[in-house]
Amino acid sequence: MASESGALIDARRAPRFPYPVLVVVVIALVACGLLLPLDGAFPWWLLALLGVGFIAWNVSVREPMSYDSALIPVVAALCFIGILTVSRLDLALGVRQGAFMLVGLAIVIAGQRFFLQYRRLEKVTYSWVLLSLLLFVLLALFGTEVNGARLWFRFGSFTVQPVEAIKLFMVFFMAAYLSRYGAALAVLPARAVGKTLRLLWPLLLVWGMAIASLGLQRDFGMAGLFLGIFLAMLYAASKRLDLVIVSALIFVFGAWLLAQSFPYVGARISVWLDPWSDPLGRGYQAEQSYFSMAAGGLFGTGYHLGHPGFIPEAATDYPFAAIAEEFGLVGGLAVVALYGALVIRGLRIAFFAADTFSSLLAVGFAATLGIQVAIIVGGVVGLFPLTGITLPFISYGGSSIVANLIMLNLLWLFSRGEQAQNSADANPLSPPEPIGGLPQTG
Amino acid sequence: MRHRIQNVAIVFACIFLVLAAQEARVQIVQRQAILDRPGDPRRAQSAQGRGTLLDATGVPLARSAGARRVYSAGPALAQLVGYSSPIYGESGLEAALDSVLAPRSQDEATDLASLFGRPEGKPQSRSGEVVLTLRRDIAEVVDQALPSQVHGAALVLDPRTGAILAAVNRPTFDPNKLVAEWGKLHNRADAPLLDRSLDGLYPPGSTFKMVTASAAIDSGTFTVDNTFHDPGYYNIGGFTLHNAEHEATGTQTLTGAFALSSNVDFAQIGVAMGVDTFYDYLSRFQVGENAGLAVSVAKDNLPPAPTVSDSELAQMAFGQGSLAVTPLRMALVGATIANHGVMMRPMLVKEIREPGRPALRTVPVVWARPISGQTADTMRDLMIAVVRYRTGTAVRLPNVTVAGKTGTATHPGGAPDAWFVCFAPAEAPRLVVAVVIEDAGYGGAVSAPIARAILAASLSLYQ
Repeated sequence: MASESGALIDARRAPRFPYPVLVVVVIALVACGLLLPLDGAFPWWLLALLGVGFIAWNVSVREPMSYDSALIPVVAALCFIGILTVSRLDLALGVRQGAFMLVGLAIVIAGQRFFLQYRRLEKVTYSWVLLSLLLFVLLALFGTEVNGARLWFRFGSFTVQPVEAIKLFMVFFMAAYLSRYGAALAVLPARAVGKTLRLLWPLLLVWGMAIASLGLQRDFGMAGLFLGIFLAMLYAASKRLDLVIVSALIFVFGAWLLAQSFPYVGARISVWLDPWSDPLGRGYQAEQSYFSMAAGGLFGTGYHLGHPGFIPEAATDYPFAAIAEEFGLVGGLAVVALYGALVIRGLRIAFFAADTFSSLLAVGFAATLGIQVAIIVGGVVGLFPLTGITLPFISYGGSSIVANLIMLNLLWLFSRGEQAQNSADANPLSPPEPIGGLPQTG
Repeated sequence: MRHRIQNVAIVFACIFLVLAAQEARVQIVQRQAILDRPGDPRRAQSAQGRGTLLDATGVPLARSAGARRVYSAGPALAQLVGYSSPIYGESGLEAALDSVLAPRSQDEATDLASLFGRPEGKPQSRSGEVVLTLRRDIAEVVDQALPSQVHGAALVLDPRTGAILAAVNRPTFDPNKLVAEWGKLHNRADAPLLDRSLDGLYPPGSTFKMVTASAAIDSGTFTVDNTFHDPGYYNIGGFTLHNAEHEATGTQTLTGAFALSSNVDFAQIGVAMGVDTFYDYLSRFQVGENAGLAVSVAKDNLPPAPTVSDSELAQMAFGQGSLAVTPLRMALVGATIANHGVMMRPMLVKEIREPGRPALRTVPVVWARPISGQTADTMRDLMIAVVRYRTGTAVRLPNVTVAGKTGTATHPGGAPDAWFVCFAPAEAPRLVVAVVIEDAGYGGAVSAPIARAILAASLSLYQ
């Protein structure tokens, strides 16, 4: 069976069950349980249940622990914090957040056979572009407008944010494209503009369109995120720092142009520059988030003892301020450190990945998580203008939770390749091609 | 490619370090500056569980009932007790003592238990409470004694300790109806939010002759038996000074000049003393010095000594010229005379009780000894004479000897400000009362009856 695809992971040794996601969900449900007894009694039995489940899992898993061991606990902790934070702001949303995690789990379980064959996806480079374009067109036609941005599909009582899926598609497209052309780009000198463009134009076109359409949808956070993913993957694949710098400059110029022509963008930027300039108007949300963080101080007010509910849309836009208020600088830094560990772990998986495509996908996913955190946390603490980007695993939002869990699951699967390459009995069916497809130069 | 992945990791590490540093900047470095800004709705929560302000007998002056703040003295102590409002912020003692009164369940919530589950029931009140020197019963007496339509202030203190017992202002407002009345209060030209008793500056007029006479006697410049001639006018430095209504008191002893409140005689006394001696006694009486009260007190306006000409000195000697003082200042001068020449530092806070800490009690402190006990007793006799025979007869009480001094302070703005400063019982003074009514006329006619009503009702309340 394995002989039919050299790029496939050996299905017999692959996990039959997505354990990491299971752990995430169990811990998240325990978090829900902690919140439910409102009479104040601490549900110790839930902790005991968690312990029993953990032991049972370790005993029952016959697989050698060949997958990345840090990824799961870190994401579990983040999901736990996410449920705590969202429930604290709105109990109903917290319960829904738990439900979204279950949906993510179901998708990962049902699709694990598909996800395991992710290497086949390398062959269908432009399908991702077509899918993304289709989603953009559908959005423009049938999307629901919220706060001036047309980013949602509405199905009855709940909405889907397709850009979260587009985010994954674009990483796939970029990894597939660059694993083919990255090596060629790397050897081109900086002055060979013509040749570079000949190699890069499909990529530039697709990403330019994606970023432009996000810009037109006024989703500037997402546009920045797409640009960051693009730059990180382009650099990792091609070593071309000159391309990275030129692209970044083009984006900054584009952002400046947009700020000039859209009052909406200009308003966000002026609030960022002086959050106290319009306390009852546009600056209200930012101002309230500063009060919230200041109230927290070093150690925070304690869970449920602060007032992060004064921040409008805290569960989606400002969960980080809520954490910083109730758990203080210490809690906020712990969350930042968890994300840092996640990003470093993802890049480590990229570092050891068995092939260029997996490696580039891992870089893309790690960069996605890292840049999202940088944009939203940076927005909350005042480093950047605030945008509507979600804080992965913590912000309330079903599409984002599901997309991030799928991303995590894929990263975790890539770490399997590390095993294949490092162990002596490496799967003979996945050829140990040199990383990057080229002799290492430095 | 591995090398580049490492570089990407380094870039992310740097970005995350910057995020952490900026978060620390907001939550540690800029924290206080942010918390000091207006508009934080967390302050709206402050009435819930906010500590109580008690009067000296344990009556709550400001207490929280749910989310509401209740002020039991209402308009009588509105300016001094102040208000604590989620919308309009804080004032008076509510603002000054906020660090004690503010509920601090937030600060103490870092214990592990509070990280799990919700705190049971309502959050416990962990705020402190403050016992003030004020007396609600006396404040209400003063509030009833002051006519409702005037502008002015009345201050009552204990000369033996410096404890301020009541400070009532006109116009005033009801802090229990702040939200409804704010719009009017804030825009009114006659400033009902101002604590005139402590933060208002007035020319002291003839009440300041207490200082001048004390200085003249204590410095040995004059005795009470020295005589002065008052033809009704006095030429000095190109100016001609008059008594009120151009009255002439003729030849009088110092006692008579004080009792009849002759400006001409006191101008001569001031000029005879000279600027140096006069200013020496002003500084002994701590005129222009900060009393160190928890709330805002206006700084007395005193021209610098080198700039004072003879005509200016002559006017200052009877409380005019560019001299302007607070009602508190004149009460303290009266208290010094009542307390045998010892000026106690005024105080408002008697005791601070904070959870988990021993109670802090305020001890009466001697602020200054401006004049000798002998001078003070002489001055007391002069002030008894004022009440017994002359300008201050309106303050006389049956069975109680009252010592007092009138003041009728002219100013360019309108009718004179009417002053009266007195203490009783003169033999063993327990209460000092200072009353000023703006633009009202003669102190002896307008303010002395108010002071009398205050003394009559307060002396039995305050032993």
